[in-house]
Amino acid sequence: MSDWFMRTEAYVATTVQPESARATRVRPAKPFSLSPRSLSALACLIAGALIAAQALYIPAKAQVAQVLMSSAWEHQLSTGDPARPWPWADFTPAAKLRFPSQHQSVLALTDAAGESLAFGPTLMAASVSPGARGVAVFAAHRDTHFAFLKDVKLGDEIAVDLPEGSRRFRVTGSQVVRWDASGIQTHDGGAPRIALVTCWPLDARTPGPMRYVLWAELILEPLSASTPSQV
Amino acid sequence: MEQMITLTTYGLRTRPALAGALLAATCLVPAAYAQQARDGTVSKAEVSSGSLLLQSSTPGRYIEAPLVAADVKMDIAGPIIRTKLTQRFTNPTQQWVEGVYAFPLPEGAAVDRLKIIIGDRFIEGDIKERQQARVLYEQAAASGQRAGLVEEERPNLFTASMANIGPGETVAIQIEFQDKARLDNGVWSTRFPLVIAPRYSPKPTFGLTADRTGRALSVTDPVPDRDRITPPVLHPAHEPGGVEGLRLPVNFDISLKAGVPIADISSQTHGLVVERTDENTAQIHLKDGEVPADRDFVLSWTPQPATAPTASIFREQHNGEDYLLAVVNPPAIKTTAQRRDRETIFVIDNSGSMSGDSMDQAKRGLLLALDRLAPTDEFNIIRFDDTMELVFQTAAPANAQNLARARRFVSNLEANGGTEMLPALQAALVDNDRKNTEEVRQVVFITDGAIGNEDQLFAAIHDGLGRSRLFTVGIGSAPNAYFMANAARQGRGAFTFMDDVTKVAEQSAKLFAALENPVMTDLEVKLPAGTADAYPAPLPDLYAGEPVSMVMRAKDVTGDLTFSGKLNGKSWTMTLPVSEAAQSSGVAQLWARAKIANFEESRYSGMTMEQVDAGVLKTALDFHLVSRLTSLVAVDKTPARPAGEKLDTRQIASMLPKGWDFGAVFGPAAETRALRFDQLPDGVMQKIHARATQEKPKAEQDLALPGTASGWEMMLAFGLSLFVFGAALLRRGRSAIGLRGQALPASVGSMRATSACNRVS
Repeated sequence: MSDWFMRTEAYVATTVQPESARATRVRPAKPFSLSPRSLSALACLIAGALIAAQALYIPAKAQVAQVLMSSAWEHQLSTGDPARPWPWADFTPAAKLRFPSQHQSVLALTDAAGESLAFGPTLMAASVSPGARGVAVFAAHRDTHFAFLKDVKLGDEIAVDLPEGSRRFRVTGSQVVRWDASGIQTHDGGAPRIALVTCWPLDARTPGPMRYVLWAELILEPLSASTPSQV
Repeated sequence: MEQMITLTTYGLRTRPALAGALLAATCLVPAAYAQQARDGTVSKAEVSSGSLLLQSSTPGRYIEAPLVAADVKMDIAGPIIRTKLTQRFTNPTQQWVEGVYAFPLPEGAAVDRLKIIIGDRFIEGDIKERQQARVLYEQAAASGQRAGLVEEERPNLFTASMANIGPGETVAIQIEFQDKARLDNGVWSTRFPLVIAPRYSPKPTFGLTADRTGRALSVTDPVPDRDRITPPVLHPAHEPGGVEGLRLPVNFDISLKAGVPIADISSQTHGLVVERTDENTAQIHLKDGEVPADRDFVLSWTPQPATAPTASIFREQHNGEDYLLAVVNPPAIKTTAQRRDRETIFVIDNSGSMSGDSMDQAKRGLLLALDRLAPTDEFNIIRFDDTMELVFQTAAPANAQNLARARRFVSNLEANGGTEMLPALQAALVDNDRKNTEEVRQVVFITDGAIGNEDQLFAAIHDGLGRSRLFTVGIGSAPNAYFMANAARQGRGAFTFMDDVTKVAEQSAKLFAALENPVMTDLEVKLPAGTADAYPAPLPDLYAGEPVSMVMRAKDVTGDLTFSGKLNGKSWTMTLPVSEAAQSSGVAQLWARAKIANFEESRYSGMTMEQVDAGVLKTALDFHLVSRLTSLVAVDKTPARPAGEKLDTRQIASMLPKGWDFGAVFGPAAETRALRFDQLPDGVMQKIHARATQEKPKAEQDLALPGTASGWEMMLAFGLSLFVFGAALLRRGRSAIGLRGQALPASVGSMRATSACNRVS
């Protein structure tokens, strides 16, 4: 290898040297000759940087939105009026989901027609109100807000703080379904349940048709009148 | 890494065009992160303004709603109505589509004309046998020609298909039909349905007929065409509104020529703008302009009392023959006879489709009817959904105690579940005292008629009627008028509609008049010389306030038409000279439509299906009418869709009828309630297993879950690799620039690149 290297180097050195020097002389007048190769390289650089920035923007947006929403949530708890986290947002905070065993909490938002999943778990429009008979469905991205869903185990408690009080649910099971055959009928009149939905497999990197559904059922207790505690 | 770069740079130099293309393709990959419209959805940014968007199951993605705007142009001349219905299909998508729209029409509509309108051209449709029309249409659709097809599913339910509507295009289907206004207690009216209420079709296993042996169980499907009569229904929450406009807007333009001075024009369903042109005529529009297609439209007009004629006769010549229409209003005869005792069986539908306003109307109407029972009467109440229940084992005396129990039962009714109407109907017709003609036996059937097995029910009524008389009460904003009218005809009773919760007392008055006043007997008509084929045959029983309406065919007709009958022992006669008949177009179509209806109902009275079919087919083809066996089809000769473009079929979803509860109709089966068939007075139906498994009408399925992967990690990895690759290439590129101009033998090119690469690394 090193032999070959040396010989090649020598070959280049001996044969190319004068021409190389001439090229160097020309370069100041025309620093970057726009060959297809360098153009492509530049395009790759710019596109790569843009894509990377766009990619990083997603988790950043997810985090910042949560911070902005928490002040809107505080406002809503103190005044009782739903508040928008920022003036042009088309949703308001809907509930705070707390996972005591995982030391996680996240603010869910109302299902706006747009891209609300980017900002937090979304309480889907077809849902019942959490705690009412039927199913309340929260969906979130597996790689941002629901990244910790893989750690939630059977029997874990999930608290759902609503402006009118807090309700506690216990995880009863999970299932994997196709997105278009979920089997979820939100207004089925059954026991009050929540379903947390994210993409399956949990560690996959590409979009797919399967969804992970984590089921939790209401723990029956008198509705707590106190304001929700913080985690 | 070393090898890869070597190869790439080598490739770059020798085939720059190819490599450039490859690179460009690579840079386009991020576009793959934007959701692709493979599922036919779009985002708000992707559509031009003016299209209607429906929220899809994926947040931020929408389905472009095909629009069907309907223009209804009615010309009312006396009792004869000519309607032109134009449905404009707008295709908002980027694909070529076929629009399929199931829509209702008045149950007596004789559809005789179809046009498809493309820009300023139109193509006239032709009547064909149903199967042949379908083949012609499918062939045209496949070869890219524009084509329109109108098929009858029920006498009041049709399907329009329009093939090859280009991206962004609007194409119209125009149908014309003949109908007649209804006269009731001196008020003329017409009911124009705008929405097909979601219908319940019993499962094939329920195709049983309670035979006299009590054991007949057939496995035939009572509704073989269930798919064609249950269009998908859009949840009202997804229905666009406000500035977005309506998805299925309807516009009315009505010209009324009553032929007599009009005292009043009104609509109980919609606000009207009435322009009176003179005392006999008016132009009528809707106050709101365009209205949603979610409920029936009812127009009523009352002639000035002094001028209201008691009889009128119309005449049309068609292919050398005369067709006559006579409408006769019998004189109101004061009855002084003693009220006869009666046995009244009330049947109330509490299935899911009745949920909401309809249930309230039905309950209030029934409670009012209970108030009118005399202590000497007997009564019973049957409620049904997919189960049924009787209040009393057999009809019970209407004493205070029984009435109180019945009222409690009615007040507690809740609407839920499917609509298994047949067992309830059969239970109501079970008569323990069939020979007793002194007593009147009446069955009052309170329902919205949202069922698909009409034929089965009509047959059951025909077979089981005996001395009973069946009165139907159509409830809600979009009752099945065909069922109401035809069940009442088979049951020799009368039908009324009750569709306004605030006017239950007023609307039920008509029903009570029919129930409590004696029926006209010995009704006879003497046809003038030369006439034949008079319909309806036999003449229906005539209740208080009802007119006789009759169509007939004649050749060289002269003389008089004489109606006679007896009411409470008093006889009356009315004579109409044919020479006084007013010329009017459309009478021939009305006659043909009545003849077809007559063939259709003669299947219950012994005519074989082959004979029925032959009669229907011949009449429909002769008179250019759409029927169960004939369709109108129009095909444009020149192909419109370029070869290679696909045709995408979109079924237009119906609206949910106003006042309906979506969840109650389409939701999961109600809690199973015990059936009590063993309580039936007669063992006939003990074998019936009508514990219904829900055969739900098509609706939204399970909740669809959104995409829940932002994919940022993958995107970041891709971006970074692209960046690194670009950087490497640039370094490489600079070295290469340094080498430019070197006159090297081509054979060492790869060697040179390799060396440079090594230097980089």
